[in-house]
Amino acid sequence: MSPDPDRQERIILALPNKGRMREPALNLLKSAGVSVTGDDRSYLSKTSNPGIDLLSVRAADIPVYVYYGIADLGITGRDIVAETGLEVYELADLGFGCCNLVVAVDKDSGIRSPSEIPHGSKVATEFPNVTKAYFDELGVLVETITLRGAVEIAPRLGLATAIVDISSTGATLEKNRLSAIGKVMSSSARLICNKISYKTKYDKVEEITNRLRVSP
Amino acid sequence: MTTQIARMLASKAKDEGRLCYITNCIRYLESRNLSLREYWQAGAERVGGDRVSADAEAVALSLEMLNSVGIRASVDLGSMSVIRKLMDRFKINDYKRLTGAIGSKSIDDLRKVTGDRNAIETFTLLMTKRGKAEMIRAIADKAGCLEDEYEYFRDLYRALDAYGCASSVFVDLSTIREMAYYNDLVFEIFTWGIGLPIGGGGRYDAMMKDFGINTTATGFALSIDLCVRALGGPQGNSNETLKVYYQDGFRDKGIELARRLRGSGKCCTLDAYKGERSGILVGEKAVKIESGEEYEP
Repeated sequence: MSPDPDRQERIILALPNKGRMREPALNLLKSAGVSVTGDDRSYLSKTSNPGIDLLSVRAADIPVYVYYGIADLGITGRDIVAETGLEVYELADLGFGCCNLVVAVDKDSGIRSPSEIPHGSKVATEFPNVTKAYFDELGVLVETITLRGAVEIAPRLGLATAIVDISSTGATLEKNRLSAIGKVMSSSARLICNKISYKTKYDKVEEITNRLRVSP
Repeated sequence: MTTQIARMLASKAKDEGRLCYITNCIRYLESRNLSLREYWQAGAERVGGDRVSADAEAVALSLEMLNSVGIRASVDLGSMSVIRKLMDRFKINDYKRLTGAIGSKSIDDLRKVTGDRNAIETFTLLMTKRGKAEMIRAIADKAGCLEDEYEYFRDLYRALDAYGCASSVFVDLSTIREMAYYNDLVFEIFTWGIGLPIGGGGRYDAMMKDFGINTTATGFALSIDLCVRALGGPQGNSNETLKVYYQDGFRDKGIELARRLRGSGKCCTLDAYKGERSGILVGEKAVKIESGEEYEP
């Protein structure tokens, strides 16, 4: 498919279509003078700025849309960008969606740090690539099991010895009798950019980045 | 292909020359990687020669090649020697993490590499600004080094100006090539609407020395697959592709016309005339088949 000539003049900004980051992302855009016009649940929406359209897709897919240049900019979690491993520019920390990606085990397991997890143990996670890189660097050989939600129940059901999952307040871990024994990474919402869009639409990308940076 | 070409030159003890190629390449990739395992690329390498002249020739040729097939492209320049010198200046040892932070323009990652305020300010400037040779001047002033690099980039822009392509070339020092053999200038080539660089290259003197030849080398490669995508797919756009036919005995004139058209950025095909009812027919003169009017490109 050939490039759409209209795209040269517009910026498409991808943001999560649901979840904890959508509302703060919309609020941030609004405070930067970009409001959704029409149906904000439509996957492609116009905004009050005729040069910016919004693409609403799953947060986990946003790095993919940005990497391939379907979207020029995207707002998603740093943990998600790290998991995909795709090369995109990370232009700004937007200051919301803060959480940690932690290693957690059953409170009664007796394991106090990630390096004490026995070799060959199973680790359940939604972040298999980040998890593998973390344990590889630690020198602990584990088997990662990829789950798509409710990761915290895996130890109790005997599926895994440990989990790697996001934690904001620790309440979910506590509720499932888990304790965090190590931090894999800190995460928050980031403004990411396609590398070619940064170059071919430099002035517009810089303008939007600066407006989002200074917005309260 | 650069490594293979360097090895071939070394085996022939050749320290001066120009080579070009079009070939398919096969690479190993992890299954999560979204790139193609087999891909086509076209490239050119300049071995030996003056540093500025050879680099300018490589950059200008890459843009001219793309221009000749109708792709308007731009180039961003980076410099591994600038990054190395700044690492020495600020006593930073972790090259991999630093280039990872620079390549993704991540100031958070940069702060994990160094806590030196001056280093953070200098690298932030390097990562967030894009311009011409004065970019190097601003960084040199901030860091208190890089005078040689500034002179090199100024001279490079003079040479690119002579090639007529300086306006399409920018300095963005967060341009990092994944191949570790580049030791000095690196560059990426891109065009709007294609989310990935359509080519890239750089200077790899150190690799030539690793293969036992004391010479210099610079070069680039273009992704043919991405060029095809930029042109609108393998079949092209039939509405924009001009069909040129030649009568018996006029093939050379047909080729000449087709080259002129392609040189001016137009897409055309050339075939022997077999009674087609539309297109351009080349005989004693070039005429539009539909109207019989003389055709002037």
